[in-house]
Amino acid sequence: MNRKKITRGNTIRRSTRKWFPLFLGPVVAAFIIGFVWPFIQGIYLSFCQFKLIADAKPIGLGNYIRAFRDAAFTHAFWYTALFTVVSMVLINVLAFTVAYILTQNIKGSNLFRTVFFMPNLIGGIVLGHIWSMIFDGILGKFGTSIVMDSKYGFWGLIILMCWQQIGYMMIIYIAGLQAVPEDMLEAARIDGATKSQALFKVTIPNVMPSITICMFLSLTNGFKLFDQNLALTNGHPIITQSGGVSIKTTEMLALNIFTTYNNSSPNAHGTAQAKAVIFFILVAGLGLAQLAYTRKKEVQQ
Amino acid sequence: MSKKLFALALSLSMVMTMLLAGCTSQQAQTSNPPAENSKSGSEASQPVENNNGGDAKGRVYWLNFKPESDGALLEVAKMYTEETGVPVKIVTAASGTYSQQLNAEMGKSEAPTIFVVGNSAGVRDWTDYALDLTGTPIANELNTDAYNLYDENGKLVSIGYCYECYGIIVNADLVQKAGHSMDEIKNFDTLKTVVEDIHARAGELGFDAFTSCDMDGSSNWRFVGHMANLEYYYEQEGETWTECPPTLTGKYMDNFKNLYDLCINNSLTDPKDLSVGGHDAAEEFKAGKAAFTVQGSWEFSNYKDSVPNAAMIPYYCGVAGEEKAGLNCGTENCWAINSKVSAEDQQATMDFMVWCVTDPEASRILVDSFGIMPYKNSAESTNGFLANAAEYTANGCYVMNWATNFQPNVDEYRAALTSALNAYNADQSEANWENVRVAFVDGWAAQYNAVNG
Amino acid sequence: MNGSLAAERRTKAVLSVILSVICIVYVLPVVAVLINSFKLNTFVKTDTFALPTGEMWAGLDNFIKGMTFGNYPFWNSVKYSVVITVLSTALILLGTSMAAWYIARVDSAFCRILYFLCVFSMVVPFQMVMFTLSNTADQLHLNTPWTIPVVYLGFGAGLAIFMFVGFVKSIPLEIEEAAAIDGCGPVRTFFLVVVPMLKPTMISVGILEIMWVWNDYLLPSLVLDLEKYRTITIHIQYLKGSYGTVDLGATMALILLAIIPVIIFYLTCQKHIIKGVAAGAVKG
Repeated sequence: MNRKKITRGNTIRRSTRKWFPLFLGPVVAAFIIGFVWPFIQGIYLSFCQFKLIADAKPIGLGNYIRAFRDAAFTHAFWYTALFTVVSMVLINVLAFTVAYILTQNIKGSNLFRTVFFMPNLIGGIVLGHIWSMIFDGILGKFGTSIVMDSKYGFWGLIILMCWQQIGYMMIIYIAGLQAVPEDMLEAARIDGATKSQALFKVTIPNVMPSITICMFLSLTNGFKLFDQNLALTNGHPIITQSGGVSIKTTEMLALNIFTTYNNSSPNAHGTAQAKAVIFFILVAGLGLAQLAYTRKKEVQQ
Repeated sequence: MSKKLFALALSLSMVMTMLLAGCTSQQAQTSNPPAENSKSGSEASQPVENNNGGDAKGRVYWLNFKPESDGALLEVAKMYTEETGVPVKIVTAASGTYSQQLNAEMGKSEAPTIFVVGNSAGVRDWTDYALDLTGTPIANELNTDAYNLYDENGKLVSIGYCYECYGIIVNADLVQKAGHSMDEIKNFDTLKTVVEDIHARAGELGFDAFTSCDMDGSSNWRFVGHMANLEYYYEQEGETWTECPPTLTGKYMDNFKNLYDLCINNSLTDPKDLSVGGHDAAEEFKAGKAAFTVQGSWEFSNYKDSVPNAAMIPYYCGVAGEEKAGLNCGTENCWAINSKVSAEDQQATMDFMVWCVTDPEASRILVDSFGIMPYKNSAESTNGFLANAAEYTANGCYVMNWATNFQPNVDEYRAALTSALNAYNADQSEANWENVRVAFVDGWAAQYNAVNG
Repeated sequence: MNGSLAAERRTKAVLSVILSVICIVYVLPVVAVLINSFKLNTFVKTDTFALPTGEMWAGLDNFIKGMTFGNYPFWNSVKYSVVITVLSTALILLGTSMAAWYIARVDSAFCRILYFLCVFSMVVPFQMVMFTLSNTADQLHLNTPWTIPVVYLGFGAGLAIFMFVGFVKSIPLEIEEAAAIDGCGPVRTFFLVVVPMLKPTMISVGILEIMWVWNDYLLPSLVLDLEKYRTITIHIQYLKGSYGTVDLGATMALILLAIIPVIIFYLTCQKHIIKGVAAGAVKG
């Protein structure tokens, strides 16, 4: 049976193969234009000094040294890491909780689902404008604002991200929960397991694939966050240390790279590009490692 | 329903795929000429360029810096194209995005032919891409050298196409209503007396002294960009900087504090609420809710109907001899010509610029929008605040130049200063002012090192 | 037994109430945009949560100002936003579903490399390529609303292919084989047999792409020829005056106009959307 399948798969493979230009051609061409070439060029430019791409001069590792020496960049790294962890945990726990409740035959669960998913369609800069108005409307009553305290900026951004993303993750969890075999839960109940035992011993192991995908999405979303960060606080408040070096307390990595690029210095573009490469290695490493780790857990279960 | 939509989407995408295929074959042809140009820049490539543009006369592309002048520029551009047939493209960068737009546009195949290089940092960044304007027809039209920017080798990188002034704008009618006169205000002490008197009697008078001093992005530049200039100006000690000094002494910080405190503590809005922003200082001034506002000459046409007796006075801040102070005059609006575009484009651009400052109709439109243009044959200015500035100069007062244009890594420097001032506004303690001083003085040195190191 | 049932019913009722409250909180931001879009600029930050009554009422002025300010017609930016979003999404759906099916079925070494590159591109931040991408796009004249979808296809292909391949692998081969035996070539098999089965994933990928493209600001602002083409998000950024003065009332009015089409679209096809997201995610 198995062998047969392989040979049969082969016939489709053989007949499809020659259609390469139609099926793959456009995507490969666009992928090269929109990703592969800019990506390779970006790596090359991180070793150059340049104002415009046309006149880049290779200068070796200078840009990387400057990037690592930049206190604001290191701060942005730790801040981003903290933000990502907190937002990832909160989003997933809340989304899972809501999904779990909604799968318990609650009245009006369809309406709740519809409402919770809706913010997911509003994105980017617009989202930042909306929430900056709301936070300032609230904090203004207390004579302060979102740019006055880095705690406000941090939790403000967390609230914003939760509002936007919980709905999407919730849908994925609901689908996962609905796929948990009813007879397994039934068996657990007959064995005398409590509700929480059933949840941790049966349900959660069975929704591991959903957890994997949600963790991956919220991790990379958190790390790559840019528009909302720019529109909500743009890094404020800023602390100027005694040497005059200023640290933007709520600036995340992507925003740091963006502002570096627009600095006025002959090395600004190269340094920004080097930071982008470092940033990319971080995101790629973390994202893929996380994916590999949870996939391994899935297999074990 | 959804099936139909689906089918529509699919058929649309089919069309796109074909377009894409068409594009890829076109790319092969069109992407060649720019590449050739940038490599050789030789005469051989120029005919190709001309075929591309479809016009042997060259093209003009002005990447504009001032959003409020967008309409005037479009009007002038249209006039010029109708008269000469030369295409003039105007693109205005959204507020706060000029350097980002310039970086992106300059790398494109149809790069801007005119761009704005308004300060010393810009000169250093873009001198390699700017034509030396020394002795060119447009430079010969200038009536002053005061707004020109040179690089360290003496190359004329950019020339001012207009200049502006800022200071404290006073509604003379309201000052009179409060029982004072404009002639009383001669220095910081007299200004303070008038301002504090008005603020104390605000309830009875029905108007306050200063408009709101918001520190959000819509208004913080009035303080961290403009008012800060008084410190830099006096720190020059009668000289004018020709390049960015690596450090500041902060000798006149107390004077900056004098005026700043006066503004925030005698205004319509509680200093604690300034970080939120959302107050509209221009509307407050126009509605007669406050007698003083910190602003510049570009607001003249906005104010003139509602506040007919508005006058601009200097930043009085308690410096000895400030009775002889004038207004802060300068510009960030300086033209540079892109040296990397073809000779035809450069010539077309030069012709266009000369036309802008000599054609009576065009220069009228531009002067009404810009305030004043420092050229021999351009239209007369009708801007009342610039007339104030000229009066001060005629009376022998010193002009405060825009030393603020030397702020190193300007966006970051100002952002840090804004943040420190926010904290100070919420709690006007010694410690918080010390943080302002650190951001102002030490921040300068740190940003200088960051961009020069 | 009866007691515990009653207790469970009570718990559920309490949960329903709690969720209803959360629901109301959830829609508040959108309501805030709505009420502030009818409010005079100066009251937006000082009285954010008050209804626009009395002296705060701005009527339709904010909408008129938002749509007429500057010298670029607002309807053009609406038009181009729609064109870019529809074309990009359609192109991505068609292109990547075809590619994903080919990758999953042919499974050659090249396909595996391409698939790996796609997964890889999902974790590449836009800042990594933003300047080089805008440069490349300019050289290839991809700076119009009709050609920028190619850029979106290129940068967005990774996620879409990743999700499609996951789904295609879960479809049993037998159906396609039956089609082949009936004499269908690969092209007909794909469009007549595979595409209908891909519908849920199409929807979930489509939602992700629509959200991304419609709300995107940085990519179009760097790539498009801004003299001729602007999107709604770019238009909103232009509301700022030269010294950063901003009319918050008008901004809120424009934001409302930008999110209304999305919300209407969502409410009309929310069943399909939610089903699609769920199906796509579980299989992917």
